Amino acid sequence: MKLNLMLSVASLALVAGAASAELKFPVGEGPFSWDNYNAWAENAPDLSGQTVTVAGPWLTPEDGYFRDVLAYFEEATGAKAVYTGSDSFEQQIVIDAEAGSAPNIAVFPQPGLAAVLAGKGQLTPLSDEMKQWVIDNYAAGQSWVDLGTIGGEFYGFFYNVNLKSLVWYSPENFEDAGYEVPETMEELKALTEQIVADGETPWCIGLGSGAATGWPATDWVEDMMLRTQPPEVYDAWVSNEMPFNDERVIAAIEEYGWFARNDDFVSGGAGAVASTDFRDSPKGMFTSPPQCYLHRQASFATAFFPEDVVPGEDADFFYLPGYAEKDLGNPVLGGGTVLAITDPTPGAEALMDFLTLPIASEVFMNQSGFLAPHKGVNLDAYRDDILRKQGEILLNATTFRFDGSDLMPAAVGAGTFWTGMVDYTGGKDAKAVADDIQKSWDAIK
Amino acid sequence: MDNIAGHKSSLTWAVHLSVAFLVILWLFPTVGLFVSSFRTADQISSSGWWKALFPTEQNLVIRGASPTDQAQIDGLYVIEGNIFDGRAIGDIAHWGTSSREIDAYKPGDVVELNKGGTITLGEDGTYRMENTEEFSGSRGQRIFFTATTAPEFTTANYEFMLFDPQNSEGMSKAFFSTLTVTIPATIIPILIAAFAAYALAWMEFPGRALLIACVVGLLVVPLQLALIPLLKFHNNIGIGKGYLGVWMAHTGFGLPLAIYLLRNYMVGLPRDIIENAKVDGATDFQIFVKIILPLSFPALASFAIFQFLWTWNDLLVAMVFLIDSSGETTVMTKQIVEMLGTRGGDWEILATAAFISMAVPIGVFFAMQRYLVRGLLAGSVK
Repeated sequence: MKLNLMLSVASLALVAGAASAELKFPVGEGPFSWDNYNAWAENAPDLSGQTVTVAGPWLTPEDGYFRDVLAYFEEATGAKAVYTGSDSFEQQIVIDAEAGSAPNIAVFPQPGLAAVLAGKGQLTPLSDEMKQWVIDNYAAGQSWVDLGTIGGEFYGFFYNVNLKSLVWYSPENFEDAGYEVPETMEELKALTEQIVADGETPWCIGLGSGAATGWPATDWVEDMMLRTQPPEVYDAWVSNEMPFNDERVIAAIEEYGWFARNDDFVSGGAGAVASTDFRDSPKGMFTSPPQCYLHRQASFATAFFPEDVVPGEDADFFYLPGYAEKDLGNPVLGGGTVLAITDPTPGAEALMDFLTLPIASEVFMNQSGFLAPHKGVNLDAYRDDILRKQGEILLNATTFRFDGSDLMPAAVGAGTFWTGMVDYTGGKDAKAVADDIQKSWDAIK
Repeated sequence: MDNIAGHKSSLTWAVHLSVAFLVILWLFPTVGLFVSSFRTADQISSSGWWKALFPTEQNLVIRGASPTDQAQIDGLYVIEGNIFDGRAIGDIAHWGTSSREIDAYKPGDVVELNKGGTITLGEDGTYRMENTEEFSGSRGQRIFFTATTAPEFTTANYEFMLFDPQNSEGMSKAFFSTLTVTIPATIIPILIAAFAAYALAWMEFPGRALLIACVVGLLVVPLQLALIPLLKFHNNIGIGKGYLGVWMAHTGFGLPLAIYLLRNYMVGLPRDIIENAKVDGATDFQIFVKIILPLSFPALASFAIFQFLWTWNDLLVAMVFLIDSSGETTVMTKQIVEMLGTRGGDWEILATAAFISMAVPIGVFFAMQRYLVRGLLAGSVK
C-alpha cells in the first residue's frame, strides 16, 4: 500500500515535471500576469484529447515563441495546440478554406485578406463579449474593432502589432557628428540637409522585397499622409472615397520623393533605392564609415541589424515627427496580425479566449519584437527598453491608423500601389503614378 | 590534308574553349552559392562572395571590452584587450575612434578620448584604455580600423542546419517524409505509364490516335488549374490531405509526360521482334514483360530521374495536398523555407539549405546519368 502510494506520488511528480518542463517560464515567476492566467486555468474547459490547429505567417524564430504561448493553453486545458507557419500563408489559407481543409484558427497578416474570406462565409464571427473586450482593453479600442469588423460582423482581434513611422539611428554616430534628434518634420528636413552639407549621406532607403518590392515606400506615403492631412482624409483615401489621384495624395507622394528622389539624400543615390533590399538597407548605418545616418522602418527593423548591434544601446529610434506648422497631433500608424476562426470547434473558441489573456501576449513579447495593444499587459515583460518605449507609444495613441496598403483591395494595396511607388522612385511623375493607381482601382470596382 | 582522320582540326581548340566557357558559366552560380554557405549573414550582406576568397582591405568597427571589465592598475583604470580576439586578421593600416575620422591615427598613437582618458592601439590589435577616473557606461568604446583581412569561413551554417537540436529533428523528419513522398510518386506513374505506352504503341484498337492526341494535349495544361478542384475532390472522397493524396496528385501531373515519352520510345523498337514473338504465340502481356520492358530501360530510367527530381524539389503540390495544419507532415523544401525566417532575410541559411537538399538528387543523377542522355533522345531518332 505504502509502496503503491509512493509509486503514484513519484509518477505524479514525473508527469508534473514533464509537463511544466515544456513551459518556457515557470508559472509564478518573472514579470508575467500569473494571477490572471491561474484564474482562467481554473475555469478552463477540459479539452483532453482534442487538437486545435493554428496556421499563420510566423516562421523561425517567431513560430517557436508562439508555440511557447500555446504550451500554457495546453497546460490549462489538456488540449493539443499545433501551430504551422508558412511563407505563402496568404495563398495557402485561400486554397484550404476553399477546399474545406482550413485550420481552426488563422493568423492573418492583413485584415484585407480576412475580409475576403469573411465575404465568402469562411470565417466564424466572434461573440459580442469578445468585441466588448477589445473596446474595453485595447488602447484606441474602437479603431481595432472597426478593423476587425467586416460587413457588420466582428470577426477578429489583433495580436502582435508593429509600429510603423519609426526613424532608426545610431546614437554614437549622432554624437560623433554632433547631431540632435529632431522634434519636428522641419527639423528632420534641416538635419537631412545638414548631413549633406557635412559631406555625408543622411538616409538609407531600400524598397526591394522580392515579389512585394515597393511596400516600404507605401509606408512612407502613408506616414506622410498622416503628417500632412487629418486622419479623416486618410480614411477617405484608404476607402477610395477620395480618389488616389487627389492633389493631397500627390502632395504626400512628393513629400516622400523629397527624401528618396534626391541623389544626395540617399545612400547609393536615388537609383539604388528601388533595387536595394529592405532587409539589407538598415545595415548601412553600422558600417565603417557609416553609409547613412537615418533609416525609417517599422518596429521589426531590429531583426535586420547586424548581429553585434544591441537595440537600445547601439541603435535607437525616434518617432517620425509631424510638422510643427500643422496641428495634427501624433497619429500612430501600425500594422499587425489579426486572429480569426476558420473552423469553429469548442477548442478553437477556448484558444481564442486564452489568447485574450495578458499572459498570451507577455510570453511572446518577452522574447521577440512583439507589441501588444492590450492595456492589461505588464510592460515589464517587454524584452528591452526599446520595445517598451514602442509599447508605450502604442498604448498612448489617441488615433491609431492601420497600414493603408493592407486595407486597400489586394489588386491595389498589394499590386499597383507597390509597383507605382517603384516607378515613382525611379523618376516617373507623381501625378501620372497616382492616375495609374486610380485607374487600376476603378477597374476592380 | 588537314582534315584526314587522325589529324586534329584547328577548330578543336575553339570547341574545347567554348565547352570550358559554358561549363564555367553553368557552374558559376553554384560556386557562389557554395562559397556563401560558408559565410555569416553579415559577411554576405557586406561583400560579394567573390571577395571572400582573397585577402581584402576592409574598414571594420569593433567594440572594445565593456567598462564593467575595467581593472585598476597602479592607480589607473585600465581596459585592455585585442580587437582581433584570436581571429587571424592581418595588419592594421590606420585607425580612429570616431565614425567621422576612421583613419585619423597610426598604430601605436596614444589618443585622448572625448569622455576622458586615453586609448592606444598596437599593430597586432592590442588596445589599452587608461583613465584616472572610472570608465562609465555599459557599452565598450568603438574602435574603427582599416586592416587587410585573410579569408574567413565558417561551418556554423551547416552545424545550425544539421546538428542544432532545434533543427536536426525537423530536418531528419522532413528528409524521410520527402522520401516517403518521392519514391512512390516516382514508381507509380512509371508503372502505369509503361502499360499505357505499350498499349498506345503496339495494340490496335479504335480511337488510339485520338487518345494519343489527348495525352499530348494534356502536356500543356498547367497543374495550377487543378489544385483547388482536386483538393476539393480529395476532401469529398475522404482522402483529405496526406501521403495518398500527394502520391495521386504527383502521379496525375506526371502521367502525360511519362506516357508520351515512353510511347515514343516503344514505337521506335523494331517491329520484327514483336511480330516474331506474336507468331511464336506470346500474349501481349508476355511481350510487354519479356521484350518491351528490358528494351525500354533507358527511357524508363530517364523518366524516373525527371520525376524524382521534380517531386524532390516540389513545394507547391506538397503544400496543397500534403501539408495540413496538424504540423505532422512536412517536406524538405517546406522545412527550408521555414528556416529562412519570418521576413525571409536569412540568405546564409538559404545557401546552406540548397546544398544539403541537393545532395540526394545529385546522388541519384550520378547513379543513373548514363541513361539520361540515351533516354532524352527516346523516340526522336529512328
